[in-house]
Amino acid sequence: MSFLEYHVKSTPTGWRKILHLNWALALLLVTVACVGFLMLYSVAGGSFQPWAEPQMERFALGFTAMIIVALVPIWFWRNMSVLAYAVSILLLLYVEFFGATGGGAQRWIDLGFMRLQPSEMAKVTVVMMLAAYYDWLDIDKVSNPLYVAIPLLIIGLPVGLTFIQPDLGTSLLIMMGGGAVIFLAGVHWLYFATVIAMGVGAVTAVFASRGTSWALLADYQYARIDTFLDPTRDPLGAGYHITQSQIALGSGGWTGRGFMQGTQIRGDFLPESHTDFIFPTLAEEFGFVGAASLLLLYILILVFCIATALMARERYASLVVMGVAVTFFLYFSINMAMVMGLAPVVGVPLPLVSYGGSAMLVLMVAFGLVQSAHIHRAR
Amino acid sequence: MSLRIPLRPLTRILDARARGENPDNVEKENLRLRHEAQRDRLRLRAESRLLLVAFVFVAAFGAVGYKMAALATSEPSEPRILSQGPTILNTRADITDRHGRLLATNFATNALYAHPQDIIYPRRVADGLAAIFPEMDADDLYRRFTGDSRFIWLRRYISPEQEQMVHDIGSPGLLFGPREMRLYPNGSIASHILGGASFGEEAVNAAEVIGVAGIEAHFDEELRDPARVEPLMLSLDLTVQSAVEEVLAGGMALMNARGAAAVLMDVHTGEVISMASLPDFDPNARPRPLLEGDQADSPLFNRAVQGVYELGSVFKTFTIAQALELDLFSPSDMIDTTGPLRMAGFAIRDFSNYGPEQSMADVLIHSSNIGTARIARVIGAARQENFLASLNLLEPTNVELVEAPSGRPLTPPRWGELATMTISYGHGVSTSPLHLAAAYSTIVNGGTEITPTLVRRETPQNGERIISEATSVAMRALLRAVVTEGTASFGEVEGYSVGGKTGTADLPRPNGGYYEDRNLNTFASAFPMDDPQYVLIVTLQEAAELSGPEPRRTAGWTAVPVAAEIIRRTAPLLGLRPDIEHPIGLQLSNASQ
Repeated sequence: MSFLEYHVKSTPTGWRKILHLNWALALLLVTVACVGFLMLYSVAGGSFQPWAEPQMERFALGFTAMIIVALVPIWFWRNMSVLAYAVSILLLLYVEFFGATGGGAQRWIDLGFMRLQPSEMAKVTVVMMLAAYYDWLDIDKVSNPLYVAIPLLIIGLPVGLTFIQPDLGTSLLIMMGGGAVIFLAGVHWLYFATVIAMGVGAVTAVFASRGTSWALLADYQYARIDTFLDPTRDPLGAGYHITQSQIALGSGGWTGRGFMQGTQIRGDFLPESHTDFIFPTLAEEFGFVGAASLLLLYILILVFCIATALMARERYASLVVMGVAVTFFLYFSINMAMVMGLAPVVGVPLPLVSYGGSAMLVLMVAFGLVQSAHIHRAR
Repeated sequence: MSLRIPLRPLTRILDARARGENPDNVEKENLRLRHEAQRDRLRLRAESRLLLVAFVFVAAFGAVGYKMAALATSEPSEPRILSQGPTILNTRADITDRHGRLLATNFATNALYAHPQDIIYPRRVADGLAAIFPEMDADDLYRRFTGDSRFIWLRRYISPEQEQMVHDIGSPGLLFGPREMRLYPNGSIASHILGGASFGEEAVNAAEVIGVAGIEAHFDEELRDPARVEPLMLSLDLTVQSAVEEVLAGGMALMNARGAAAVLMDVHTGEVISMASLPDFDPNARPRPLLEGDQADSPLFNRAVQGVYELGSVFKTFTIAQALELDLFSPSDMIDTTGPLRMAGFAIRDFSNYGPEQSMADVLIHSSNIGTARIARVIGAARQENFLASLNLLEPTNVELVEAPSGRPLTPPRWGELATMTISYGHGVSTSPLHLAAAYSTIVNGGTEITPTLVRRETPQNGERIISEATSVAMRALLRAVVTEGTASFGEVEGYSVGGKTGTADLPRPNGGYYEDRNLNTFASAFPMDDPQYVLIVTLQEAAELSGPEPRRTAGWTAVPVAAEIIRRTAPLLGLRPDIEHPIGLQLSNASQ
């Protein structure tokens, strides 16, 4: 099947495509990014340096990339999926052996104008690869064990490479994003039930064995899990981030302390306040109202993505859009849950708001795929 | 999987042919229908899956939103460390004087430590700490903060002001551990008695306080007993102690002495009301012990308890008392005082000559070595040794200080006739001022044994009888006469009828023999002499009174005036009423003789 056989009737062509972009979605993305600029400006103590300005430049670059990706028909990207996946795996292998070390882990490749994190790229390419795989696969075979093993391999490779970097947060995101695509592709629910049952069983076994003669973990490992589950046990050590973050969230109250008035940030109590822990900053300065507004923006972005997925007739387009939506959802829900103490601290940035080049660029390209699916949908 | 309907069922092809239709169209139609069915099935499943995912989204939003609202409405509370690890019990009982005034108590403070991995700006923190604590070096701190260590002790305790300043640095990773610190609110007052305390086992959240010297070390177990609620009450009187130390320090400076000691004791209860040793120290910041040289040069050295000296003529009191007790001589019996008295190549001389013959009273009053030695010769070595032993002068005192056992008296290896004669006037046996205070208490209190104590007691000791009541009464008169007529004339204090005996002993050279110009001057006194209540021992080391043409180094010129001043200051504080029946003019004329 060559891509030339793909005909979409009555879809816009040429520069007219720009008019058919999902402009509401684009506007939402710009709004969220602007919230990010505002917060980075505040965290830097009322300065565009060192974070807000580079972030703006990268967003401009990302927005351009989104439009370029959107103008290219979605079937072209389907045919590029295998290539994109292969490139990202090669880059992951490259950083494993030659990558620069940052923050104790080998994560990025220095491109000169920016630092590329192949693990961020893998989040999207895994979704693309899986969507292409299920587009190719006969619908009756999806639950065949042999054809279930292949996507597991597709996910397992980048997850493993990311995990040994080590970057637990990103590897979990890739795993969950990929799992969501497999689920949406219609693999029999018994597979998922089995995985969930095994996970629950393992956790139960570990906890049930505590204090008995057949304890599965050493005492200090249990102590770590305790702190993991309840950071207030060790507010000055492992639980420091979470405790300070919750203080920041609490100190904001309903309407917040006002722009640039956050005490936790001004007092340097909250580390990483420009990256993973930017949300407490927002919540402290703009209160529940501000935080809930950001959450609403994220929900609207998801709604547009789901609408696009439902409108898409093509299996690939539908799956890739939902895959992007799930990845995006995982990003901000895990970040928010993490800073609120609902989930362990695993190092996931707040999408489009946290300072960081690779994540922003990759997300904008992913939204480019969503836009492309929107423009080139069958009518 | 449902059984597939063949795409080209033969019957339908035949029907179509009968109707003249193309059988291929039938096949196409069937294929289309099948594709549509498949797509519907797929769509249905995909939509149910999407619905499920959407449900997960909603649930996650609900959880995040709920938690966000919960946090927004919560009052932020400071995190608390749950107690981790074994807690160290650290409530140490207070120590008070006899009236309940605090001598030692506890003070809540903090230790300072760091978790370097939590420090965001190590350079700024290092500079900030170096500005607060002068002993810290910014570069060194920076090196330690940026090293591999995950835990660094910075200070064992900090003051509240310093704590606030560390707070003002405002950096995470600088942490405080609660500490209970021993505080001596009166500074150096009674420092040698209290001793001091230090941290024992230390952990982040608490540290043990243990006594290292003095009373704190002796009663360490009792003070640390968590069941104990009442403070430890000492026999000391803080006001008197303060006055004694002040006068003694002044006297030490005035008399150009190198060191000084004073013991004020209740003659009936054996309670030490005041005990001082100079130079002293501040137990809140105990100096380090000397690593080399003589420990007696350290301010930590307690001259009143640890220092054993040949105290000189103050021992004559014991010789005379024993002579009276044994009924060998009466005070008016004449003693041969012609000198020098030669014995085994050793010449005993008197400081000043009062004629060839003196009464036993005058031997004491004018402090004749020759006369005392002759009396001792009559008493004999064995009886002298037994008598001194019964006065507890030959064993360490068992006062409640850890240092007490180190104040072991020195006795001659062979207690022969020569030793008996020199010991009779205070050379050959070395004891501490505290020994002397207890022995003098026995002499003047009616003759019963006294064990010195630093702990408050209400009742007289009523110890074993050492000398008879009559001997004690006679000794009071003789000691009083030493002040009114003899060597201790500067000891007169109006209204308190002081009695006592001076002692001027040459200090021994480290390599044998004695210094010509270094004395240990002692005044052993009791007051009021008609019914003695207190004994006061004052000792000055290497004192010299320089107002005359030649330096005067005798006790009468140095230790006696200091002791008189102490009595003048403390007797009213002790609640003694001055006896004003004596005409003042007479007292003065007596003193000038």
